[in-house]
Amino acid sequence: MSDDVTSERISGYIRERFLNGDKKGELEETTPLLEWGVLNSMNTALLLMFIRDELGVVIPPTKINAGNFQDVKSITAMVTDLARQDQATIAAGTE
Amino acid sequence: MEFGFTAAQQQRYDAILCASREKLGRAGTEGAGSYFTRQQWKAAAEIGLTGLCLPEEHGGGGLSALDTALSLEAFQRGCRDAGLVFSVSAHLLACGVPIRDFAAGEVRQDFLRGMADGSLVAANAMTEDDAGSDVGNLAVTARSEDGAYVLDGEKSFSSNAPAADVIVTYAVTNPRAGFLGVTAFAVPRDLSGIQVGEPFRKMGLDSCPAARVTFRDCRVPARYCLGEEGQGGAVFQHSMGWERACLFAGYVGLMEHQLERCIEHAKQRKQFGSPLGSFQAISHRIAVMKQRLESARLLLYRGCWLMDQGRDYTEAVALAKVAVSEAAIANSTDAVQIFGGAGYLAQTGVEQHLRDSVPSAIFSGTNEIQRELIAREAGL
Ligand SMILES: Cc1cc2nc3c(=O)[nH]c(=O)nc-3n(C[C@H](O)[C@H](O)[C@H](O)COP(=O)(O)OP(=O)(O)OC[C@H]3O[C@@H](n4cnc5c(N)ncnc54)[C@H](O)[C@@H]3O)c2cc1C
Repeated sequence: MSDDVTSERISGYIRERFLNGDKKGELEETTPLLEWGVLNSMNTALLLMFIRDELGVVIPPTKINAGNFQDVKSITAMVTDLARQDQATIAAGTE
Repeated sequence: MEFGFTAAQQQRYDAILCASREKLGRAGTEGAGSYFTRQQWKAAAEIGLTGLCLPEEHGGGGLSALDTALSLEAFQRGCRDAGLVFSVSAHLLACGVPIRDFAAGEVRQDFLRGMADGSLVAANAMTEDDAGSDVGNLAVTARSEDGAYVLDGEKSFSSNAPAADVIVTYAVTNPRAGFLGVTAFAVPRDLSGIQVGEPFRKMGLDSCPAARVTFRDCRVPARYCLGEEGQGGAVFQHSMGWERACLFAGYVGLMEHQLERCIEHAKQRKQFGSPLGSFQAISHRIAVMKQRLESARLLLYRGCWLMDQGRDYTEAVALAKVAVSEAAIANSTDAVQIFGGAGYLAQTGVEQHLRDSVPSAIFSGTNEIQRELIAREAGL
């Protein structure tokens, strides 16, 4: 999955679940999600489930920090990085 | 699938049940306003209860979540004092677990050793006036300053605090990062700038003292941080996972003991020339109590087992927490009814179970919040 697709899916989920559809189209890649309270403890737990179930990436507790969850851009970067690491591990296992 | 105890589990369960009856069977009979004593705490430590899941190298039992739960179940089954069992459980699970998994170096070693051998009592202070279920809304702050953090603000509900030597607490270190701007600390009680209020008057869990905790310019050296700066939310959720799983095993033990008493009473007490148990209204009430107990027990054991397997346990533990607490409240109400007028009198110890059970639907994350988690796991 490309970075753009990952970013779009994460943004889409946040718009639908936490921003009531974001009718005014306010969510951007750099909207500060933690500072604005879009990601509180409950919503972050939900987002983690979405990323696990729909994007197939399990985020370890050590990655749950303000830097990685600052905005859609940083979340996307973390998810694509973890997905790449997963794929590298699988590839190494099948060699 | 294997539902039975292993020989080692059975042996540990029996030993704790027996020791708990013998050494702490009378604890808590003094009533409201008298709190657990250091002697009782030491007695619990000698049975191994204050360090069940703490590392063996620091004097703990090194037990898994399931074995910790079974041990706390046996403890409560043998000890009438749910306040003491709650205090020990909060010390172990809400404080010992995060110190075990997130503290570093000598702080970890010193606290864990003292907590396991009973020379230290620990309290957890998360809740604030405006941050109960919404733990992301903390007002207590921690300002970084020359290798230390300066804590300011007030925690509104901390069990064990009036007796505590160590306080595990959470404060905002980065206000712009929401709940990921929270940092966890294990704070020695004797640092200056900490004030613990008068113990609250409460409904139940009488022997567990609880109070407000205030930090004023309290300088906490950085070595007392649990985990990294900003990891406090994850530290707290981790400790609550253990608490939801294992602390509620105490209520399984409470229901077990309560059921034994109800069955005994239904056999002994006669009205209209027959034992109460011969009336279907009573015998079926007891059957339903048994059904609630056994189904809650299975959910709890499964939640602990998933934790031990390193698998996702959030939903299973939430289900268990709701099932055990609601079974305890319903069974305790039934027990009062089965005992009739005697059940309402403090001297029989039957109504005490109800007062001790009611808060179980509130602490460790209210049942409404657990249902939210369950619904969200179901994709709603
Ligand atoms: C015996 C006991 C011991 C405790 N010990 C400690 C301790 O050692 N340390 C500590 O930090 N705290 C402790 N607490 C406090 C406890 O953690 C809080 O009481 C609990 O988290 C609930 O917070 P609150 O009381 O502010 O209730 P609120 O959060 O104000 O909730 C009130 C009601 O509203 C419901 N509610 C709130 N939000 C939602 C929502 N989003 N959806 C649906 N329903 C909702 C709740 O479920 C509850 O029924 C203890 C409490 C008790 C009773």
